[in-house]
Amino acid sequence: MPEIKVTPLGAGQDVGRSCILVSIGGKNIMLDCGMHMGYNDDRRFPDFSYITQNGRLTDFLDCVIISHFHLDHCGALPYMSEMVGYDGPIYMTHPTKAICPILLEDFRKITVDKKGETNFFTSQMIKDCMKKVIPLNLHQTVQGDYNMTPDRHLGAAWIDKCRPDILISESTYATTIRDSKRCRERDFLKKVHETIERGGKVLIPVFALGRAQELCILLETFWERMNLKAPIYFSTGLTEKANHYYKLFITWTNQKIRKTFVQRNMFEFKHIKAFDRSYADNPGPMVVFATPGMLHAGQSLQIFKKWAGNDKNMVIMPGYCVQGTIGHKILNGQRKLEMEGRSTLDVKLQVEYMSFSAHADAKGIMQLIRMAEPRNMLLVHGEAAKMEFLKGKIEQEFNCYMPANGETTAVTTNPSVPVDISLNLLKREMVLGGPLPDPKKPRTMHGTLIMKENLVSSEQALKELGLNEHQLRFTCRVQLQDPHSDSDTLHRIYTHLKSVLKDYTIQHLPDGTVMVESIVIKVSSSAEDANAKVLLLSWSYQDEDLGSYLSSLLKKGLPT
Amino acid sequence: MDSQCVSTLPRVCGVLLESGSSLPDDTSLEKLLDWFTTIAQTGASLLEACPCLVDFVSKVAFNHASGSSILSFTLKLTGLIGTSEDGFKVLKECSVLKLVFNPHHWQEAGLWGDPCLRIGWIQGLKMILQHSEALSFFAQEDLIEPLLQLQTDSSLFVASAANQTLAQVLLLCQSLSSVGHNCSKNRYLEHNSVSIETTQNYSGIITRVSEYLNKSVVLKEISQLPGCQQILRLLAMLLVQVGPPLRDTLLLAVMNSLEELVTTSCSQLTVPLMDVILAANSGLRDDFVPKQRLIRLLWVMLNMKKPAIVMQAAAAVLHSHHSDPTFSAHSARVLLLPLDIVTGVSLLDENSTEEELRILITEQLKRKSCISMICVCLSNIPQITLMASDHLPCPQRLIVTAVLMLLRLCCVDSSSSSAGCVEVVRFITGNSKVQKCALEALLVLSKSPGVKMVLVDVFKVLTEYLNSPSSDPSVLQKSYQAVIKWVGVCPDLSCITDQLREGFIQAVRKRACDTRWEARDSTVEFLGHLGGAPSCRSFTEQETEPSDVFLGGCSFTVPLLKEALQDPESYVRASSISALAQTLTPSWQEGAALTQEQEDIVTRLQEVLFQDSEGFARRAAVKYFIAWLSACSSPSSCWLLMQSVPTVLSQGVNDLDWEVKLHTLELAELLLDQAFPDPSPSHPYAVMSDQAHRLHIAGQQSDLLSSLKDLVDRGVVSALLCGVVDCDRPVALKACQLLLKLRGVVCPVMGNAADTRVFCQLAEGSVMQQVRKIQAMGKDTYVVSEACSEADKEGICASVDPERVGVCEVLRLLDLDEKLSILTQSSDHIYNSPLSLLQDILTAAAASSQPGRDLHQELVMDCY
Repeated sequence: MPEIKVTPLGAGQDVGRSCILVSIGGKNIMLDCGMHMGYNDDRRFPDFSYITQNGRLTDFLDCVIISHFHLDHCGALPYMSEMVGYDGPIYMTHPTKAICPILLEDFRKITVDKKGETNFFTSQMIKDCMKKVIPLNLHQTVQGDYNMTPDRHLGAAWIDKCRPDILISESTYATTIRDSKRCRERDFLKKVHETIERGGKVLIPVFALGRAQELCILLETFWERMNLKAPIYFSTGLTEKANHYYKLFITWTNQKIRKTFVQRNMFEFKHIKAFDRSYADNPGPMVVFATPGMLHAGQSLQIFKKWAGNDKNMVIMPGYCVQGTIGHKILNGQRKLEMEGRSTLDVKLQVEYMSFSAHADAKGIMQLIRMAEPRNMLLVHGEAAKMEFLKGKIEQEFNCYMPANGETTAVTTNPSVPVDISLNLLKREMVLGGPLPDPKKPRTMHGTLIMKENLVSSEQALKELGLNEHQLRFTCRVQLQDPHSDSDTLHRIYTHLKSVLKDYTIQHLPDGTVMVESIVIKVSSSAEDANAKVLLLSWSYQDEDLGSYLSSLLKKGLPT
Repeated sequence: MDSQCVSTLPRVCGVLLESGSSLPDDTSLEKLLDWFTTIAQTGASLLEACPCLVDFVSKVAFNHASGSSILSFTLKLTGLIGTSEDGFKVLKECSVLKLVFNPHHWQEAGLWGDPCLRIGWIQGLKMILQHSEALSFFAQEDLIEPLLQLQTDSSLFVASAANQTLAQVLLLCQSLSSVGHNCSKNRYLEHNSVSIETTQNYSGIITRVSEYLNKSVVLKEISQLPGCQQILRLLAMLLVQVGPPLRDTLLLAVMNSLEELVTTSCSQLTVPLMDVILAANSGLRDDFVPKQRLIRLLWVMLNMKKPAIVMQAAAAVLHSHHSDPTFSAHSARVLLLPLDIVTGVSLLDENSTEEELRILITEQLKRKSCISMICVCLSNIPQITLMASDHLPCPQRLIVTAVLMLLRLCCVDSSSSSAGCVEVVRFITGNSKVQKCALEALLVLSKSPGVKMVLVDVFKVLTEYLNSPSSDPSVLQKSYQAVIKWVGVCPDLSCITDQLREGFIQAVRKRACDTRWEARDSTVEFLGHLGGAPSCRSFTEQETEPSDVFLGGCSFTVPLLKEALQDPESYVRASSISALAQTLTPSWQEGAALTQEQEDIVTRLQEVLFQDSEGFARRAAVKYFIAWLSACSSPSSCWLLMQSVPTVLSQGVNDLDWEVKLHTLELAELLLDQAFPDPSPSHPYAVMSDQAHRLHIAGQQSDLLSSLKDLVDRGVVSALLCGVVDCDRPVALKACQLLLKLRGVVCPVMGNAADTRVFCQLAEGSVMQQVRKIQAMGKDTYVVSEACSEADKEGICASVDPERVGVCEVLRLLDLDEKLSILTQSSDHIYNSPLSLLQDILTAAAASSQPGRDLHQELVMDCY
């Protein structure tokens, strides 16, 4: 029996860097190549030496698939491709390919700034890595973070009932039912509003792109509704660029945004303005989104230092902070912080944590599993104890595994080979009164399966199967002003093309057409305007490029 | 160790004991262990530095309440303490050692199944295995058995750590045996730490390991495959690390099993098996009996009936740099066979011994799997080119010809047909994997001798690839790299005909407006590299720039790059700016007259600095001016450059991107260096009269004054003063260093003179606040806390006349030395300090234990 083997190199019973090796049908595929932001040394990247001794990853791996742009899923990619030397294909969606380098670049700048590190990937490496990425329309049916509640900018996850051999799912909130999204949003807005009302300033350190967008939409709408005047600022160009991409990939966002987009672009904010560092000293209330999200360097830390001493102000941490960062310290209640030069900073401002995490809760995970009905379930990206609990629940309905990092889970598969059924056979079955094929109720049908290994010419294949050939041709009408007779115009076209397309076969045929390769050009006069000519172009799909070129060439008119 | 850390550590240990399960942050324990390791590595006694650790370890060991991550941490910590003999004794005396490293103890507690605990056990064990006491303990407790069991553990991580620990055991046995052996000769055995009993222990361990290896190197059923692969990896590692006679013993023990394994012809075992054979073979004495058996094994592997195995075996031989040239030559022949068959280029002479392999490979090449076979062949060409020419089966020039032929066959638009295996063409045509491998090989082959004859062919093929509409962006990038590489190694480019040049120009023009940004960027990068390539000889025997030879020079390149400055993709915009700098550098060096085009470029670059939303482009723009200023032979006479510099400085230092700011400061540094070049050192014993000295000082003062005024006028001083208070540490650090440099040059000579004559305007910001505050308080060395209240600052600033300040006064007032010492320690020294870590663990544990204070605002409940 063929097997599917799954080995997590990261995210096996933990919420660190996601990196899962899947061996299937003789191919080795890596799902995600994430980074652990909590370490400053090599431990932040997956250790590839476990899967290949000689370090030549390209020989071993057939491809890498990145589920989404969060750094714990793609952060080690430039390290893998430019420093370890993997040179094979990397797949991700178009939006992921667009946003991934922004996050990588942002993290690189913060890392190099913070540590003065040189042993880290460079800007050039990020670019070279992105050049190797092949973008495609990838449905996130593989492991990746997902949310069953629609965000303000992204739709809820969905999956066909495709009954996969194995479904790999994250399990970050494996034992949790999260309070409703609306409650969390209301709570967030209430806190911001109260602070603004009492004349305080609100700092929101942001890191993950999705989070920043969602909070912006939320505040923008609230400001509009409440007619608030306090300014909202964005501190860097990071999210401006992200907004640009969100605008670009509007079709990937949720339906509500797409609908609103008809009236106005949700990502073009009226109340949110770019921040200048001198604004931090302005008196009066304001809300500032600043990077980095963990308050460990740069703009957000500088603003925090300025505002920390005032108890009217507030900082809202909307995401995870690694140990050692100011974000981590204040979230755990430290009120006296040691700063550079042995000075201390008294934290008097209010510290709030808001979970807007883009993960499904336990209910959501179960919902997705039931949608897909997998033969086997494998949990990753979660804490062991919580995973164990969820595994117990899942096992009441499905097989479930939760390998630790480095452990291999093997599931046997029953490969099904999809085949097309001929329309005639299907019609005959219907005439005989049998039920139509239904994946839920399999039944036997009699027919002949044609399998051909040898490559034959299309003419021979058509002959053998007794089928007629269908030609697909493109047509196009080009209107131009030419006060000559139809035949003269045609001749002028012939001469013009002869002079432009030197290496092509161009014929003036007696039937009143000009042919360039397979492209046929006819001329007819317009009924309304005697001087106007309508050129009819037609070409086969093989000559698509040339056909398009000719139509645009003729649109420009004929030389006088 | 910091006294605060000493007092905090016991509380942390208490928290770890109480918390039971893991901490909210899973990296804390690893970082704690890192800190302990650092203490141990400095030579200090860990137990003296942290006496509470033994108590902690005992409590965890005797109480199973802790979670697996705390247990794993404790096992590793025990190992770390036991690394020193003193620590080992203490642990032994309190019976912790026996308990902690007894696997039955953990099995009975039902914890052994957790890979996290097993990892802790192995790593702890590996750490203590540093001295004979530890080895005796290892032997007495019979820990070899569980360690051997873990060699093929279900977890890759556990198995790998177990492999390394076993190697550590054997290395320790080896080193202690040699000590014992030497000592027995000088009759002081009874006084030496290595007793007879211990020596017996070693031989017991070695015998057991040998038996185990012999038994494990088998493959009777497919389920044994993963285990067998792991054991072969272990064996290869042991054979590399241990020396004779232990190495010989192990080899003799596994020889029969290895011979049997080779006969299974299992392709998944080829690589690890070859690693073992080659590791065993290297450095083996010729008179050692298994040597001949090993050589036979090697021949068997290289003459298998399965082409995939033979190719992998041959590749392994070449990578191991095998000392016997017969094997290398044979391996090279094997690896070149697919290329010979596919292209029809006769790389190998007729050799009957390879005839069978040729037939087998030809058959294989008719299937889709031919791709991987051709790629193995191509990826090993670099190794083949390293071989001595007399062992090569053919001249390297022929290999180049074959690779070119293969590239033609792979190219969708090429009309070339193969004189070799025709069936393979349908699989490789348009296959970017093969194309990339072949282009990589071509890159390496550029160094081959006698390639001048194929130069035209190389450039023709590369032009075909650059022109082909079906070329993948990564293939295009590699093709460009190959062009640059070949240009670089061929000083004579007289072969570049007009037709070839036309082809290049057509390709580059087309790619510069490709719909894929990757292709456009590679093109622009290529133009930059070509512009920067060293000059060579053209057909007229004159020194010419390669970009002239290939593309007709700047008249083609510069407009194309100017166009790319407007590219929608920021990467391309940045690359085009860098490429322009590379292309224009020669004209800057020559001091050529400025063109309208260059003026347009400068205008555009200033727009980029002001308006571009992307850091890449803005960074490149500043670097352009750095390159210009560095290359320019006489900057002051270049009006455009000097006119642009103040704008670049003022805009760059206020950029959002800290790297743009840093590059701007590099530009300021260049100007600083040009204004104050290092004076030629006067002779130490030179005698100078008082009058001469006074005149000298006066002359110096006037020179300095004018240079300083220049710097102020160009905005260098303002940029530095702006940078020194930047929130991004690297920027502030660089600015601080440059201000110190300026102070070092100006202040000693000028005294207060400059203050009356050279002023600088301070921008509204914290430098002005700092200076005003210091002035107002009348103190010279006062560093203003950035956290001082706004009202405070406003009051100070209002009380002082906001006029300009003297440069020297500012330089003296800012306590630059103190600032530098703070900035030099990266901001990491706080966040990653041991005390910060200990405090974080304490507060995190306290926060998570507080009822009703759920940080994550989650409702944890039974949801089903």
